[in-house]
Amino acid sequence: MNVDVAIETKGDSPQITETFDTPPATRARGRRPTRSQLLGLASLAIISLVPVPFGDFGYFIGQYATIYAILGLSVVVVTGYAGLISLMPYSFAGIGAMATGAAMASWGWPFWLALPFAAAATVPFALFVGITSVRLKGLYLAIATLTISNALGETFFTWAPVTGGDSGHLVGRPVVGPIDFGSDLAFYLLCLGAVFVLLFMVEGLRTSRMGRAMLAVRDNELEAQALGINVAKTKLVAFVLSGMIAGLGGAFLAQLLISVTPNAFQSPFAEATSLLLVTLVAIGGMDRAIGAFVGAIALVVQQQVFNGFEFFFAFVGIYAAVVLIAFLLFRPGGLVQVGKILAALVRTRPALGISIIAIILVTNIGGAWLILSLS
Amino acid sequence: MIYAAPVTEVTIFGLSSGAVFALLALGLVLIYRTTGVLNFAHWAIGLMAVVTYAMMTAIGVPPQLAALLGLAMGVASGVLAYRLVFKRVGRGRQVIVILIAIGLAQFYSSVAQFALGFEQFTRLEPWLPTGDVDVGGVAIRASEIATAVSAIGIAFGFLVWFKLSRTGRALRAVAQNREAAMLAGIDDVKYSSIAWGIGSALAALALLLVLPHSAGTQGGIITTFDLTPFGTLLIPAFGAALVGGLVHLPMALVGGFVFGLARELLILAPKPWSDLRASVAAILILFLLLLRTERFFATRQELEALE
Repeated sequence: MNVDVAIETKGDSPQITETFDTPPATRARGRRPTRSQLLGLASLAIISLVPVPFGDFGYFIGQYATIYAILGLSVVVVTGYAGLISLMPYSFAGIGAMATGAAMASWGWPFWLALPFAAAATVPFALFVGITSVRLKGLYLAIATLTISNALGETFFTWAPVTGGDSGHLVGRPVVGPIDFGSDLAFYLLCLGAVFVLLFMVEGLRTSRMGRAMLAVRDNELEAQALGINVAKTKLVAFVLSGMIAGLGGAFLAQLLISVTPNAFQSPFAEATSLLLVTLVAIGGMDRAIGAFVGAIALVVQQQVFNGFEFFFAFVGIYAAVVLIAFLLFRPGGLVQVGKILAALVRTRPALGISIIAIILVTNIGGAWLILSLS
Repeated sequence: MIYAAPVTEVTIFGLSSGAVFALLALGLVLIYRTTGVLNFAHWAIGLMAVVTYAMMTAIGVPPQLAALLGLAMGVASGVLAYRLVFKRVGRGRQVIVILIAIGLAQFYSSVAQFALGFEQFTRLEPWLPTGDVDVGGVAIRASEIATAVSAIGIAFGFLVWFKLSRTGRALRAVAQNREAAMLAGIDDVKYSSIAWGIGSALAALALLLVLPHSAGTQGGIITTFDLTPFGTLLIPAFGAALVGGLVHLPMALVGGFVFGLARELLILAPKPWSDLRASVAAILILFLLLLRTERFFATRQELEALE
């Protein structure tokens, strides 16, 4: 019935990028920030202040969202930029968390030393997966990472010297020199600082030589090779960078949880949380660093707010899955792309655009408030 | 296990879990070959059948009838997934297809959690006989034997049907060359739906055989572990499908038994080797992946069409 349609699609080159942005070939370094960049910074600052009126509960959710944004950034690098499906970002976070736990609780290292150690600890694992990814493409890599995540849960995360046995490690909140990050506000600010630094680094990576090599590999491996890009090296770098970012996120996660137990990183929690990370990045916008931040806010905040209310908690799961599928089908660029469309609408037809944004904000915030006050 | 497991018992356990892996793998391969989607939601679709079964038995429907209704629900979930979602995704956008399959897995497993109401455990009534049967002097659960026999029967029946029937021929034609099949008058959407329906039915059957009988005479228990998107058995099922390179049905059946028997027979191995039991599936899968088994079972052209 739709023979011609099928043949037509067959003729297209297998690219997933038609709907994504391509980065500028020249770097924006040295120029004055544009108005939209300043607007973006201002909105980031306002979003960061949202938890303040909610006190400790707000800070707790803020810490969760920022840490998941860091973990999401690791997905942006490997899946968004390099186009390699990894279903094990949370396992890398687990390695980082365990390294932090072992370093701080067992060996008495200070936090500022444990942080780079957590990132470094993921490197051998990331290299191993990266080498696999050179040989495996697409869904075979998805199966491989899923399997490795599962196998790490049975081996690495049962290895008592690293994990501290079933009870895990007791990690305190970080103290750096004279500054004590023990209070919820201070720790929230620390997480926020970390996520902003990483956000700018990952966004900077996108326009760097290596980042554009990753995008080229994602779009068409053969073409990239013809352009003189070392595909294997690019994939390895993507996995190592992604692993290191996830390791850093894991270090912060260990600080957030205070006690890290290995079973959080074993099957099936590891797979489930990895899926959540991939989901939130896909909802936020896979190929932009800010997508991880937006996605983490959209999903983690909902999930943590409704955590106590099982009914709504499951509803968030269903809702997130439906939103994910809808985005992937119709707007693969995620919330970032939707935001851009809305921004364009505000510019051309201000009244309509602003009222749509207002409706979205009011229904979301009002709905959450209604549910919380009813329960 | 605390007692020394005799060879007969372990073999039957291996055969029955192998048969379940084989059923899941056959469904995965059928869907992948015909529509190019590696169904990460396979377990979750099967869960829909089990959830229906649990809800039906809870309101007093006889278990055998409830199992049938569950099966129908599994088929409906799979066909809906294709009609509403995968039909609309262009081929060749593999990252998106994988992510959508993952989203679907989350969707169905969230629905399952929602429907079962967040208990730590949900009890299921059995629908197969649960008494013990004497096999060579060893008492073995009848449900294990029934699972092994019926799964093997269904798997072989399916393979014969796929080889001989008109529908099976059409499905193979779609798998081998979509465009040529469509030019020959085979309706792509119809046969893709059939592939999704049968694949989901196999997944639903596998789960309906395992979960309601997981706790012997008391029936079955679903834990929160089972309600996660990939469950506990999807990874060995992927492994079994990989034995046939994700494209070859009979080898996927063989693969199911390889994974089932490897896991159970390792119990008998001497001490350091029996510890491998937990990770044997992962080791086998990585080995199969790096071997790139798909090149033994499909031509280059067919594989490119699937990508």
